[in-house]
Amino acid sequence: MTTSESTHDARASFRGTLTKVLMVQAAALALLGLLQLFYTR
Amino acid sequence: MHWINWLIVVAYLAWVVVDGIRKSSGTDTIAGYFVANKSLSWWVVGLSVMATQLSAVTMIGTTGQGATDGLRFVQLYFGLPLAMVILGVTLVPLLHGSGVYTAYEYLERRFDAKTRSLTAFLFLLSRGMSCGTIIAAPGVVFSAIFGIPLAWSVALIGIPTVIYTMIGGVQAVAWADVKQMVLIVVALLAIVVVLVLQMPVNPHDALQIAGATGRLETFDFSFTVNETYTFWSGLIGGTFLMLSYFGTDQSQVQRYLTARSVDEARTSLLMSAYWKIPLQALVLLVGVGVFVYYQFVQPPLLFNPAHEEAVEAEAGAAYAALEARYGETFGLRESAAMQVAEAEGDLDEKLSAFLAHEADLQGIRSEALALAEEVTGENARDVNYIIPRFVLSELPIGLAGLFIAGVIAAAMSSIAAELNSLATTSVIDFYRRWVKPEATDAHYLTVSKGATALWGLFACIVATYAATLGSLIEVVNRFGSFFYGSILGVFLLAMIPRSRGTGAFLGLIAGMGTVAAVTFGAPSVSFLWHNVIGAVVVVVVGVALGGGSPSPNAETPARTGPA
Repeated sequence: MTTSESTHDARASFRGTLTKVLMVQAAALALLGLLQLFYTR
Repeated sequence: MHWINWLIVVAYLAWVVVDGIRKSSGTDTIAGYFVANKSLSWWVVGLSVMATQLSAVTMIGTTGQGATDGLRFVQLYFGLPLAMVILGVTLVPLLHGSGVYTAYEYLERRFDAKTRSLTAFLFLLSRGMSCGTIIAAPGVVFSAIFGIPLAWSVALIGIPTVIYTMIGGVQAVAWADVKQMVLIVVALLAIVVVLVLQMPVNPHDALQIAGATGRLETFDFSFTVNETYTFWSGLIGGTFLMLSYFGTDQSQVQRYLTARSVDEARTSLLMSAYWKIPLQALVLLVGVGVFVYYQFVQPPLLFNPAHEEAVEAEAGAAYAALEARYGETFGLRESAAMQVAEAEGDLDEKLSAFLAHEADLQGIRSEALALAEEVTGENARDVNYIIPRFVLSELPIGLAGLFIAGVIAAAMSSIAAELNSLATTSVIDFYRRWVKPEATDAHYLTVSKGATALWGLFACIVATYAATLGSLIEVVNRFGSFFYGSILGVFLLAMIPRSRGTGAFLGLIAGMGTVAAVTFGAPSVSFLWHNVIGAVVVVVVGVALGGGSPSPNAETPARTGPA
């Protein structure tokens, strides 16, 4: 595998992980946001 | 406390120590003692990372903060998932792959010995002090709640931790962390179940009351550097804080240096990326639940039983009068809370009445706290006592013991990691580097065990003095944030090819100087921004002074650890 292929793989892996982590966090924050939206007066 | 609860606590302590010692096989070399021969699975390392970060302060202070302030503290962790992903592709492969025992050891390879020694010294200074405050947090609370001298409660937590850390090294610490993390989560979930079962109103009504008092306001989008917990300070300042803590603090770096491979080290950090925010929200929700519960069951006027006793003895009449007013106002607030809970449609009027009674009640509490301060001469802030008092008076026998064991577990897991990393840094970055560079593993092991015991003793002594410092959460965070950003800056510089040792060293001094100037010159700036300021100043100064010839050590690594 060439250096540029390896760098490309690392970037793709980083993007994939980041996307998954951000999706899970977005779900958790959305839940907290809904609690704030519906119950805070 | 009931003897069954004590039995659970003692059984847990015995189990952790015995099992910790049992797990010490293979630690007869420094690679085994300091990095477990790089043999641990990602889930063991991941739980160890989480347990290290979750201290007793989280169990009693943060839950108490949930009861008084609500969920907004969770914003501090908004940068954590991003920081973990960044570390997974930057510092983790760099440190794990370079075969070092400490993060600072890497800095000598990249820069020079003085940069390594200064960062290692700053770590010893800040972590040595914070280790004391981590023991002090539960120590002070247990001392007041169980009526035992502070030295005893400090010893109850400190001595077993020192024993298994000293004998078993990082391997014993990591496996103890796994058990401790499980116990902590079980204890928190047990409280949630009890709250749901014993709450006089249904979950929707409970949320209605929590929301009416602002306890469910998680997000604050205002951009002000003076407010500690906002969305932006959490996301930006929090990212820098977490990058520093997980990327450059030996107490965390040493956890993932024990992983079998870079991939497993990376995966272990991702566990925190996925679970930290939900776990922290659970901790705060426990506090919010206790707040709602106390709308219907009268809580003590003072949560610190030692202060309560002192005030009753010294100013009995004044305290009795306050208690009478407290009881009367509580009755009014309780019925107002029930009306808010049961209200359909427009509830402005009912809400105003409830909030007015709530303000009256808090006014009486403030008077009682002022009286306690006058009588005892101590800070009467009792946030850290809310949850322990709730647990001991409202939880069934057995579950209360489980929670107390959980608090001790949280304290032990953080203290063990700190003692382990303090000993490692003392031996690797100072003793082996400057005092005795050539010696056998047996010699370094003996010195490491002695260093662990000495740091344990130091932490216990600091614990007795740190008790008089204000909010324990703030204290722990402040100690770290003074150096954290600047140390992160040095590691960021290490990834910039043109940076050199002198630039890194001077940048580090400039970063710390700037943070000190901001701390004293503009004290209203939230400590979370100190991390950003420190890191940026170090990088800017380091790059500006860089560009010279390579550091003499850059291509000739010092002694290495396991690869």
